[in-house]
Amino acid sequence: MAKLLVADGLRKAFGQTPALDGASISVGAGEIVAVMGPSGSGKSTLLHCLAGITQPDAGKVRYEGRKLTEMTDRERSALRRGKFGFVFQFGQLVPELTCLENVALPLRMDRVRRREAERRATEWLERLEVTDVAGKRPGEVSGGQGQRVAVARALVANPRVIFADEPTGALDSLNGERVMRLLTQSARESHAAVVLVTHEARVASYSDREVVVRDGRVRDLTGASRG
Amino acid sequence: MAIAGGRDGWTRALLAAVAMGIGVAALLIATAVPGALDSRQDRIDARRPASSGDIRAPGDAPAAANTLLMTELFDAAFRDQAVYAALVRAVGPDAPLPPGVTRLPQPGEVIVSPALRDLLASKDGDLFAPRLEGARIAGTIGPAGLAGPGELAYYLGTDKLTLDNDQAVTAFGDTNTAEFSPILALLIVVISVVLLLPIAVLIGTAVRFGGERRDRRLAALRLVGADERMTRRVAAGEALATALLSLAAGAVFFLLGRQVVPLFTLWDVSLNAGDLSPSPLLALAVALAVPALAVAVTMVAMRGVVVEPLGVTRRAGTTRRRLWWRLILPLAGLAALYPLFGDIRSSTVDNRYQIAAGAILLLFGAVALLPWVIDLVVRRIRGGAVPWQLAVRRLQQDSATSARMVNGVAVAVAGTIGLQMLFAGVEGDFRTDTGADTSRADIIAQSTNGDGRELPRRLRAVPGVTSVASILQTTAIKADKPELFTLVFVADCAGLAEALVLERCADGDVFVAKPSGNVLGPYYAAAPGDQILLGADKQLAWTVPAHLREVPGRSDPGGFNRGTGLFITPGAVDTSRFGPLEGWVSLRTDPADPDAIERVRNAAAAVDQRTFVYRLSRVDEANRFVNVRRGLYIGALVTLLLVGASLLVGLLEHLRERRRLLAILVAMGTRRGTLLWSVVWQTVVPVVLGLALAVGFGLTLGAVLLRLVTVPIAVNWAVVGLSVALAAAVMTVVTLLSLPPLWRLTRPDGLRAE
Repeated sequence: MAKLLVADGLRKAFGQTPALDGASISVGAGEIVAVMGPSGSGKSTLLHCLAGITQPDAGKVRYEGRKLTEMTDRERSALRRGKFGFVFQFGQLVPELTCLENVALPLRMDRVRRREAERRATEWLERLEVTDVAGKRPGEVSGGQGQRVAVARALVANPRVIFADEPTGALDSLNGERVMRLLTQSARESHAAVVLVTHEARVASYSDREVVVRDGRVRDLTGASRG
Repeated sequence: MAIAGGRDGWTRALLAAVAMGIGVAALLIATAVPGALDSRQDRIDARRPASSGDIRAPGDAPAAANTLLMTELFDAAFRDQAVYAALVRAVGPDAPLPPGVTRLPQPGEVIVSPALRDLLASKDGDLFAPRLEGARIAGTIGPAGLAGPGELAYYLGTDKLTLDNDQAVTAFGDTNTAEFSPILALLIVVISVVLLLPIAVLIGTAVRFGGERRDRRLAALRLVGADERMTRRVAAGEALATALLSLAAGAVFFLLGRQVVPLFTLWDVSLNAGDLSPSPLLALAVALAVPALAVAVTMVAMRGVVVEPLGVTRRAGTTRRRLWWRLILPLAGLAALYPLFGDIRSSTVDNRYQIAAGAILLLFGAVALLPWVIDLVVRRIRGGAVPWQLAVRRLQQDSATSARMVNGVAVAVAGTIGLQMLFAGVEGDFRTDTGADTSRADIIAQSTNGDGRELPRRLRAVPGVTSVASILQTTAIKADKPELFTLVFVADCAGLAEALVLERCADGDVFVAKPSGNVLGPYYAAAPGDQILLGADKQLAWTVPAHLREVPGRSDPGGFNRGTGLFITPGAVDTSRFGPLEGWVSLRTDPADPDAIERVRNAAAAVDQRTFVYRLSRVDEANRFVNVRRGLYIGALVTLLLVGASLLVGLLEHLRERRRLLAILVAMGTRRGTLLWSVVWQTVVPVVLGLALAVGFGLTLGAVLLRLVTVPIAVNWAVVGLSVALAAAVMTVVTLLSLPPLWRLTRPDGLRAE
């Protein structure tokens, strides 16, 4: 499988506290990788470095061979806007926009006309089975519906990689399952890779491969954890 | 709870305390300003010679041995700043000392204020020093003898003062101060309302800082068993704690501000740090009112939310704002003011409180209506680019927060417009047309002592003076009827042309001007052949020649018509034996040389210190009116700055609350420009609506105030535009200042929670 995203020897510390200590990982095109680990192990920091949100202190991140770590802030922003999608645990939808407008937002930011952006957003709301909340604001929908709206937003611009940080962390198991099923299914249909940060084995089971972050390093569990 | 939550909690509490503290400091200043201005006036009165009984008129019986001869030089100034100047000569060893002076200057000595000493030591000192005649600085005037620390003042010792000609002072302290007229009292009441209301609004706004986070905390308390009443008590306790913190912050700001005050002189007003001492009763009122207001605002805010154990729901989001109660406030204000229409000028009843209440209610109407207006407008807005959409949607969801940010500015602008209309309406009561014609001359120099013949000669040589016209003046009596006397003016044709309508004039001509109508008093109009007696002792006989021509008089450039008198060209009379003559000189100076007047003052002082030199202006304004207006300008400036500072704090708090969302949007690749513009639009829309509302309320307030004083309603649109532009400028600066923090807050690593 061609490597889409490669990180090598990432180091990152916040003050005196090391978060990553030589972490390396690679993600293939269309591959779903679960990043597991205990609280505070550096999973989210790894995801932020891979997505170009945070600059590592040392090490390199390459997307399709281009070094993220050598890009300007503007270039990394453009990359995140055009090639990446994001799902976080909470607080990610703009509270004053309707769910439809939230999903259309990445397209609008890429200067797609409003009517076209909302048409495509509606399609994704249908795929994520939340068309009934299109006109509602995030505060008026349930947590599960909100997360599915967030997944629709992450996918609407046809990204190559989706970064999902504990996407089911605030949901009950039933809603969590539903969100994961729709996220992975939609990602596979769109040939998008997924970097899935979670501490739940049940959520990780939706992935093709599992890695664990411990003491700032990444260990591949494929084969070891699956019988 | 108010400060719980580690660094974040402290920061939040600190922001609220700083914003409210600014308001508290402003209130403390407001309570201290009347006292400060009183202290200033007291010092000014204290250095004036005591009541007229102690001032001997020229020619009175000789003064007691221990008196001080003193002449205050009115209209003394340096550039745009007034100068307090007095010539003194001690008669006897126990002559009274002016306040702030430890010993009287001897001839050739001068006692100066610290500000004047600094000026003399600066590079501009050379422009002032000549009028001190090279006197040695023998001491400094203490604070008790100065209107303020920035005042330019001096006492110059001289031996030219005489008991016959100058005031003999035995004590200092003028107790003859005038009362405020009803119109001035009205102005002061409305100014107080206009300046303090924005501050009260700001405090109310700052109390709500961190409201969302507080609601989440309260929800957590509900989860562990707190009932609704307990959550309200906790919220009240938090508000109280923040209010107490803000009182402390306000006291610190006030004390710091007090130390800075002496460094500034605005419109001739400078104050000592010690002058700004709030009245204890008013300070106590502030200390009680601020916590009470904080708790009341919190309780009202809590009515809009339902705190449940699992979170907070807002009632306001689903209900439409009601108009009816928002209209009650301004209507009640109008109702309070209506009975006073046309009554103020003649009123003997103290209706200050009714006026203040009416103005407050009317202006609060703008505060109450603004969220409704924003709602009404933004609800109809659709579409637009992403930044515009983000801003509009934010306003649609919660217009109250934005309205609160703009309330202070809106009230300040509405009040200022109303006040300016009132000022324009009543300024006729306080302004008099001087009749000066500034196209003919811009400076007048008048010498009543010394030799007036010397004055024009000296002034012609001053660099920057482009033209000089002068007239010498004396009096004469009719030889055969000594009870009749006439004024005699001697000048060349150019000089006479300033006071007479002359069709032709040659040296040797003599003119007589008669006023229209009856001649008052003993002045008489000389006729050809009359013999008049001239000179200091009226011994010099002169016969009015047969070629005397009667011509009409006209106002000189200073607006003064000399009326009846003989106007003689130098060729017709030998003035060398006339003795001292009073001199009047009108000057034109180079407009590109603003310091020319300073050189004129120096040259005039060299002839005689007591020469009046003043710049001509078309109108003359009553000092008290000018002082009240200066107070308004200073207050409006301070209020606007405070509003701006508090607004900035509010905006930063608002951004902090949305930090995570901003970080997520940036993580998604949102251009920072998009977020910046959304913040800009989010400020601009309420500001524009707020200012439009403010103009409406300001014009209403102005119209009502003008009805109180029965003055026709007139709007000065330039002033309206200026007020709006100033407020818009403050908002622009605040928005620009909020952009760097926004830039920092939108760093994607703001996502990190640990």
